[in-house]
Amino acid sequence: MEIDFGALDSIRAAQNPDGGWPYRKGGSWTEPTVYALLAHQAARTTAPHSAEAVAWLCATQRGDGGWTPRRAVDQSTWVTALVALLPPETIGAARHARAVEWLVGERGMESSPILHLSEFLRHGTLPEGPDLSGWPWFPGSAAWVTPTCLGILALKKRYWRQPSSELRERIGAAQAFLLSRRCADGGWNHGSQRSRGYDSGAYPETTGQALLALAGMDAPKLEETFGLAQGFLREQRSAGGAAWLRLGLLAHQQTPADAPLFRMPCRTLPDTALTLLAEAAEQGYNVFLE
Amino acid sequence: MTRRDFLLGSAGLGLAGCGRTAAPRSRALVKVTRAATYSQDLYDTMRRVLREHRIDVRGRRVVLKPNLVEFEPESAINTHPLLVHATLEAFRELGASVAIAEGPGHRRGTLDLADAAGYFGTIPDFEDIFTDLNLDDVSRVRLPHPVSHLRSLYLPHTVLGSDLLVSMPKMKTHHWTGATLSMKNLFGIVPGGVYGWPKNMLHWAGIHQSIADLHSLFPKHFAIVDGIVGMDGNGPIQGQPKAAGVIVSGREPVAVDATCCRIMQIEPSRIEYLTLAGGLEGIAEENIQQIGEKPDSVETRFELIMELRELRRVRA
Repeated sequence: MEIDFGALDSIRAAQNPDGGWPYRKGGSWTEPTVYALLAHQAARTTAPHSAEAVAWLCATQRGDGGWTPRRAVDQSTWVTALVALLPPETIGAARHARAVEWLVGERGMESSPILHLSEFLRHGTLPEGPDLSGWPWFPGSAAWVTPTCLGILALKKRYWRQPSSELRERIGAAQAFLLSRRCADGGWNHGSQRSRGYDSGAYPETTGQALLALAGMDAPKLEETFGLAQGFLREQRSAGGAAWLRLGLLAHQQTPADAPLFRMPCRTLPDTALTLLAEAAEQGYNVFLE
Repeated sequence: MTRRDFLLGSAGLGLAGCGRTAAPRSRALVKVTRAATYSQDLYDTMRRVLREHRIDVRGRRVVLKPNLVEFEPESAINTHPLLVHATLEAFRELGASVAIAEGPGHRRGTLDLADAAGYFGTIPDFEDIFTDLNLDDVSRVRLPHPVSHLRSLYLPHTVLGSDLLVSMPKMKTHHWTGATLSMKNLFGIVPGGVYGWPKNMLHWAGIHQSIADLHSLFPKHFAIVDGIVGMDGNGPIQGQPKAAGVIVSGREPVAVDATCCRIMQIEPSRIEYLTLAGGLEGIAEENIQQIGEKPDSVETRFELIMELRELRRVRA
């Protein structure tokens, strides 16, 4: 599978005059802007207006070191992990370090010491698994699968450059959180594997993300997950889901199923970029793990 | 005046000016219409429904907001595309400019989900008139009298800029709130691009309280509930299809949802968000003017999970 440079052209054509990218049309958002830059990295080329893109991103960083999903939003959120996936050279080492610092300090409310203390005062017990610690989408809420996967991937990249016990422990706690949220069928959904006594099924996109975030980990029963992921891939219903599955399987040296490749149209910029990232991973360059 | 003020102002103005042409009634008008199947008859049915509500939308921007949840076209999980298309055509015949918009709570590929749910195949040029509310441009809107701890919400411009928001949920039980109808359906206007998938911040703020807060921003949105085939048991995702054979409509969401509960044999006064938003007065039968079928004549027992059995309506 070769890099689809036509896809790269379509990404370039979608860039807004302010330097950022929209999801489909309209104003610039952090998530598609990061994916557009990662797609160029995967293709080992530079966006024609990369300076404007980086300037847009840098201007979207908040004083606390985190990133807001778009400028109209006055809050640092999960997209900080996405920005931290970019090489430090892209946004500057100091900005990158502050993004990582923000990430390390953020966690789902269910694992916050304040909530644990409150539970202890009310019920006299501590919640089980205090060392499980994922990331929320939005501060002040619980941890979920996608932001936790992106947080793990961002901190791993940092750790490979600059190992520390703090990073290692946080990555371990987040991976433990992820394993605790695995569905009965062996995959992952948004992060609720069981509710009101009923098991919930996995989704393709989050299963692929979790596999990617667990790369290199000798997790038990991943064979079952591989089979599920291959099945999802054969019946793919979204380009984004298929791309995440390929990225996740390849991270475990699994050959993705021989399915009608990317049959679904790419309907958002992240879909297009992720498809390109999966193609690059098939050629041996997985930007999430380099 | 800021853009945010403008958007909020225009939404309020539009909603206020887009009402029934008759003088306000003291009782909320709710219409219950029999509809046994998803057939071509729905086009005529929806024309009649809108005519009876005497909605004046000529030259106005109407946004239909269905409930899209999962990639399962054969299940009863999503609002049926034929009902949405019939409603779209009926509003267009009244002179409105109509768009469709939704922001699912769990799945990210909204257009892929709509495709799987049959929207592309049923509604011509669907992609041109559809907005993914999870990824739309947003502005912050202050909550006037919050009952949750939220003080403001970021909301999508497509909704804020509309003259009439039409909530089109599926009639379903909900394993946390008891029932998910036109008011709970407004969770789908809260942008995932800001709050995530799921929009868990609303749950941490109190799910019932958040529903009431969203209702306070759109108290006069129009509601059309797809109860032709709803879902009971462990809804809103894992329940069983339940044929109720009705469409419930009206411009007072609290009254519409209370009527749906009665049809489902659920006691509306035990649904916390209904009492938070409308008080006991808002859901009282004597304060709702029913037209079309009487709820008693179409009521269908929607099974509830064990934990919610206290919500069952018990007749005196």
